[in-house]
Amino acid sequence: MTLVFRWAWLPRLTQGLALTLELTALSMALGAVLGVMLALARVYAKGPLLPFYGLASAYVHFFRGTPLLVQLMALYYGLPSLGIKLHPFTAGLLALTLNTAAYQAEYFRGAIQSVKSGQMLAARALGLTRLQAIRYVILPQALRLAIPPWSNELVYMLKGSAVVYLVGVLDLMGQAKTIAAREFRNFEVYIVVALFYLALVFVFTVVLRWVERRTHIPGLALPGRA
Amino acid sequence: MRNMGVAVAVVLLCWAGLAAEKFIVGSDIAWPPFEWVSAKGDYLGFDLDVMRMIAVLEGYEIEIQAIAFDSIIPAVIAGQIDIGASGFTITAERAQVVDFSSPYWVSDQMVLVRADSGLNIITALMPGKKVGAQRGTTGAFWVEDNLIAQGVAVELVLYETYPEAIMDLLAGRIHAVIQDQAPSEQAVRQYPGQLLIAGIIKTYEEFGFLVAKGDPKKILPRIERGMQKLRETGAWDNLVSAYFGNPLEVIEAAWEACISILTVERDPVRYAACLAAKVQELRK
Repeated sequence: MTLVFRWAWLPRLTQGLALTLELTALSMALGAVLGVMLALARVYAKGPLLPFYGLASAYVHFFRGTPLLVQLMALYYGLPSLGIKLHPFTAGLLALTLNTAAYQAEYFRGAIQSVKSGQMLAARALGLTRLQAIRYVILPQALRLAIPPWSNELVYMLKGSAVVYLVGVLDLMGQAKTIAAREFRNFEVYIVVALFYLALVFVFTVVLRWVERRTHIPGLALPGRA
Repeated sequence: MRNMGVAVAVVLLCWAGLAAEKFIVGSDIAWPPFEWVSAKGDYLGFDLDVMRMIAVLEGYEIEIQAIAFDSIIPAVIAGQIDIGASGFTITAERAQVVDFSSPYWVSDQMVLVRADSGLNIITALMPGKKVGAQRGTTGAFWVEDNLIAQGVAVELVLYETYPEAIMDLLAGRIHAVIQDQAPSEQAVRQYPGQLLIAGIIKTYEEFGFLVAKGDPKKILPRIERGMQKLRETGAWDNLVSAYFGNPLEVIEAAWEACISILTVERDPVRYAACLAAKVQELRK
């Protein structure tokens, strides 16, 4: 068996790579915003705000409990029957965002809850409102603690974004499928694509480890780290 | 001694039965009338029935496996399936990596649009228009080679299956779908008043069944012989008349009524005659 690689694949794969990056970055950013709100609702919604706890919990359970692929198909092929026709990219971005928000909510919740409860008491004793305490005391620490699980989610979403090829988005996977369908060099094309993903994961991991070190607070060490 | 002989014969027969050759046929079963899944979950279609009939005539078993169109040739190359029967156009590119049977069908490409879109074959393929096609098909290649590569910047949207392209056309997300003649006509029959054939692109494509390069299992001669027998006995024409130009529900009902003649009585000629007659009867 002889392996054949062609330079002609690169422009198309690079285009696909750009779309993959765009989808991953946007869905992770939007998912983080949504995820923090969901996590706050899950931790702090009490008394009259209790319905928000219920809503946030239901959301997290639903989107963690169903496959990403099912969510994508429902959004793309299901919604038109309600008169909502999403563009393939939009449908892909929406599915990825809604899905990752549920996972990120759990990571953020864990991080928020690992900030010692005494800090909230101390903040309140100093005269901060609950909201101020969350904003200026709890979240700055929690977000740092969430970096390791969050980078794990980023790597997962980068690879998971490949499902969008199924609704016609020409991301890295979609371009690879299209090239393979024409040239029958499946093995070679997918090797190249695997290397693309691997390189991206490597870059993301290094960058996030750097961010983690930069934002590290002495005394707020993670277990097992010096 | 005589008993002994009978025993040996029985053992031999059983052994032959167990060791009956079996070939795996790969098909993208969402492309009526060549292959589709009936309402009851059976695999129907012209290609698949031809495969079943030839298997009976040539004395081997087949197992039909549903796979994505663009995965069939890679699967044949990798040896995971033995025969590709999925309305494959014989092209030079494909013939470099697999071997084809002699042509069994001729097709042109058709451009489908929504009936209310007011598009014709020229306006539907103008720059900026979204044209849907199934990934890995000659329709998709035609758009790449004759439009995009020539500077006509249509947006080619690729789908895993043909029905997904039709769904998106009906939903209004794309302007046109390019696909072979018979499946296009079938789609129009399925959505009367909603879809329209905007025009024909005369590509004169010939379909062939395909096997691994060099035909290591020597399947092609048997397919050729089988096709010839089907043509000589009139079974081929009966099959064509049953499968083309008829509503799918009618074909499904007729298939249901006749298939045991092929699977149980193992008589392809009578099966095809039954199918054609039944379709005629049901259409009245």
